[in-house]
Amino acid sequence: MIWHITKRELYDNLNSLRFTLATVLLLGLMLTNAVVHLREHPKRIQKYHASVRESLKDLTSRADDSLYEIAQQGPGLLHKKPSPLHFCAEGGEAFLSDVVGGAFLWSISGGLNGFWRLNYPSATPNLTNIRPDVTKVDWVFIIGYVLSLIALLFTFDSVSGERERGTLRLMLANPIPRHTVLTGKFLGALISINIPFTLAVLMNLLVISTSSDVHLGTEIWERLGIIFLIAVLYTCLFIALGLLVSARVQRSAVGLVMLLLAWAIFVVFMPSILATIASGFSSPMTSDELWARRGELYRERWARYDAHLPAESESSKRMRFEGEHVIQEATEQERLSEAHLAQKIGQVKFARAITRVSPVAIVHHLLEAFAGTGFERHLQFVENTRRYARHFREFVVDTDRADAESLHIIGVREGMSQKSVSPAAIPKFEDTLSLSRDFNTAAVDVLLLTLFVIVLLSSTYLAFVRVEI
Amino acid sequence: MLTTLIRRELLDNLMTFRFAAAVFVMLLLVVANTAVLIKDYERRLANYNTAVKTHQQKVRERKTYSAGDLNVDRAPNPLSIFNVGLDKRLGNQVAVHHGFVPTLWDAKMHGSDTTFLNIFSSIDIVFIFEVVLSLMALIFAYDAIAGEREAGTLRLVLTHPVRRSHILAAKYISAMACLLIPLLMSLALAVILLTSAGSISLKTADFLRIGGIVLTSLVYLSVFYLVGLLISATTHRTGTALMFSMFVWGFWVLVYPNMILAAVDSMHDAEPRTKAVFSQIQQMWEAFDRERGEFLENDPVPGESTNFDIGWMGFDFRHFRKDSATLRYYYQAGAHFEEIDERSQSQVPHAQNYYQFLVPLTIRTAARTWLVRRQALENIFVQPASVDRTLLKLSPVGMYDAATQAWAGTDLLGIQDFFDAARQYRQTVIDYFYDREAFGSRQWFSADKGAADWSTLPRFSFQRSDVGVNAKRALPDLFLLLIINLGLFIIIFLIFIKSEI
Repeated sequence: MIWHITKRELYDNLNSLRFTLATVLLLGLMLTNAVVHLREHPKRIQKYHASVRESLKDLTSRADDSLYEIAQQGPGLLHKKPSPLHFCAEGGEAFLSDVVGGAFLWSISGGLNGFWRLNYPSATPNLTNIRPDVTKVDWVFIIGYVLSLIALLFTFDSVSGERERGTLRLMLANPIPRHTVLTGKFLGALISINIPFTLAVLMNLLVISTSSDVHLGTEIWERLGIIFLIAVLYTCLFIALGLLVSARVQRSAVGLVMLLLAWAIFVVFMPSILATIASGFSSPMTSDELWARRGELYRERWARYDAHLPAESESSKRMRFEGEHVIQEATEQERLSEAHLAQKIGQVKFARAITRVSPVAIVHHLLEAFAGTGFERHLQFVENTRRYARHFREFVVDTDRADAESLHIIGVREGMSQKSVSPAAIPKFEDTLSLSRDFNTAAVDVLLLTLFVIVLLSSTYLAFVRVEI
Repeated sequence: MLTTLIRRELLDNLMTFRFAAAVFVMLLLVVANTAVLIKDYERRLANYNTAVKTHQQKVRERKTYSAGDLNVDRAPNPLSIFNVGLDKRLGNQVAVHHGFVPTLWDAKMHGSDTTFLNIFSSIDIVFIFEVVLSLMALIFAYDAIAGEREAGTLRLVLTHPVRRSHILAAKYISAMACLLIPLLMSLALAVILLTSAGSISLKTADFLRIGGIVLTSLVYLSVFYLVGLLISATTHRTGTALMFSMFVWGFWVLVYPNMILAAVDSMHDAEPRTKAVFSQIQQMWEAFDRERGEFLENDPVPGESTNFDIGWMGFDFRHFRKDSATLRYYYQAGAHFEEIDERSQSQVPHAQNYYQFLVPLTIRTAARTWLVRRQALENIFVQPASVDRTLLKLSPVGMYDAATQAWAGTDLLGIQDFFDAARQYRQTVIDYFYDREAFGSRQWFSADKGAADWSTLPRFSFQRSDVGVNAKRALPDLFLLLIINLGLFIIIFLIFIKSEI
């Protein structure tokens, strides 16, 4: 019986004007998305490879000198790898820096130089861009905004329209339980929305995968599958909302007004308004404050150095002291940068948590997580660089320890191994994306979205079962 | 008769759920958003004030004329709350230096620390109008004719001696009146919030600008209402009319503006042109450098040293700064000698002589390169951007956005005004130096016999262009919207007159 109703709904929808318009709209958007991706992705990849090569060249050129040089200058800039699924979620990448590393190294005194430490530069905004500002047409936009609107337009009259025409009463005169009718309507809407969507997605992927510049591996297809499922879940949410309102109101026009306004508030306005309000609650260190704090730390360190420096005669003690001093200075400054970064991240995390009230924000987060772009990805990248930094420092210590002639005083040129290091032995930074980690960060969002869908579906059920026809 | 019709339509509209919903949603969104935007404006204003203070401090601390450059800052525009435009995005601090002409492409950003937070998009009041009001207009319009035709009341009305044009006019006037209520109420609340915020002082001119924004909003609203009416007049069923209106809305407001710029890549490769112009500019500066070298060779001091072996305490610098992407190329030289020892006192006149020659030459070269650069910047950056803007204007949303930006003064021209002022200020500073014969003075590079005097230097001040200019910039788009209105009205009229009921 369910199938019967579903089929009827499906035929109804397939012949309608909205189905045609929705198909045209989605196809147009998805094609634009694919074309833009094919135009811009190769440039992105090229830029990434060029800058990685640049860093690597720096590093290997230093390897010829000595271990000290490598440890002091560090491995150069660490670059964020662009995701091949950039077309799914653009993720505000323009505002997230794609490099870590490269602090300016103050020389401490005559022969002492500051040691390499992690530093997190913020993205430099493009101040010369005078082109009009528009939202990027990525899957987040297509699914979050357009698909949800289409879902509402498909369902706003599914119950109230039939009631207006009297066909609902006719149908319920047959021995059909109400929940069967509802399920049939739900499935009908779900399928008829997903037909144009699937078509558009396939078209998009077809265009993208035909290009030789973009390689989509198995993991990528897995990710795309998950993204597609999320999109379906998200449309379920809006179908349920449409059915709920449609079951409650007497006239379908009123239902549509309510739905559209709710859509505008929750989808268009809520995320940004809530985020702005939420980010006002905490105020992280400004860059001026950060620099003032840096200077303070530096001066304190200087003063301590001057006060406690052992006399020239105790040369080994003096060297040990100097080494400790250099390492501590780097650690201190790195800790400061990390504290600053943590404050900024905390602010954004809180704001993102608050915006989860809006379903579009949840989908945005989820798509970003699985596309490997956006804020969570940035945090992963930062985590990767930290791991690499630990690895790099261990390498320095181990190499130094392996040399029996060395004094094993890290931080001073004379105290470290004088042997040259083979460039191949130095650990290289390679940014990675991992699916299992993305699952963990996305779990909350998936649960929340499912919860929304379940709540809406059950309230639709209750509303429909108890409503008078 | 017309008044009766209007009254009927008004009552019909006012008592509906959609009207209540429109008022409620508009008030909610505008008030919530204005509060947020005011906070943001205050933060930017605080940043601006700090920047101005530090820059003034830096100037006062400078003891020679040549030791650095002046910085001027662009204050945030209070009307950016209505339409933020480019106000927040472009640089708001630019160096004023005799050796180069400042432009938008040389500007930096003060207080730009919250770049992480920019991943959340920000919304201004005009955007709310753009989205919600247009939706409202269509919702008010879709059943205006089709609905009455379905219900049969249209036939009933036409049995009376009523002109069809009157029916149409009545519908239009009453619906616009109903749509005006949420628009004006929310705007009034926004203005009240603005004036009650201590940090924002609105002048009479600003209220006129806000008036311009209201007028433009009204015309924009009318376009969407008429589009809805057109759809309603041409379709037979309200359901179809509604569906069609919603897709038209979705396409124009949501899809088109975002899609068109992605689809059409107006930033065609400008690199060869950039390279050509850059090498042209480079040649001018190389000629300058040769002339400088000749002067040094011919002066009585041997060698090409530019600090003339002065035994000194302080710093000096000379370098070319270049950036091929924005065609920036200039020469900066300056010095700050705290003290000059006895032995090198005899060298001081030579140095004076050198700077007396060098600085005017730098200014002349800068003026020459500026002529080339201005043209190139216009071609490479401004023209593609204006192609983009024209493309956006194929949707009424784009026209509305452009017109309100022009009213608020946050459009490209409004921002350029600031840089014009900065360039003018640079000229003032140069004139000031000429008047005081600063280039050949000892204070140009040394502070050993008294520091440079900055106290009489004219202050930089920038007044946003007056309302007349804003109006002139907004009028083309406003007229375009009006013409669309007129055209739509005539089409609807013709269709409605001829249609069978």
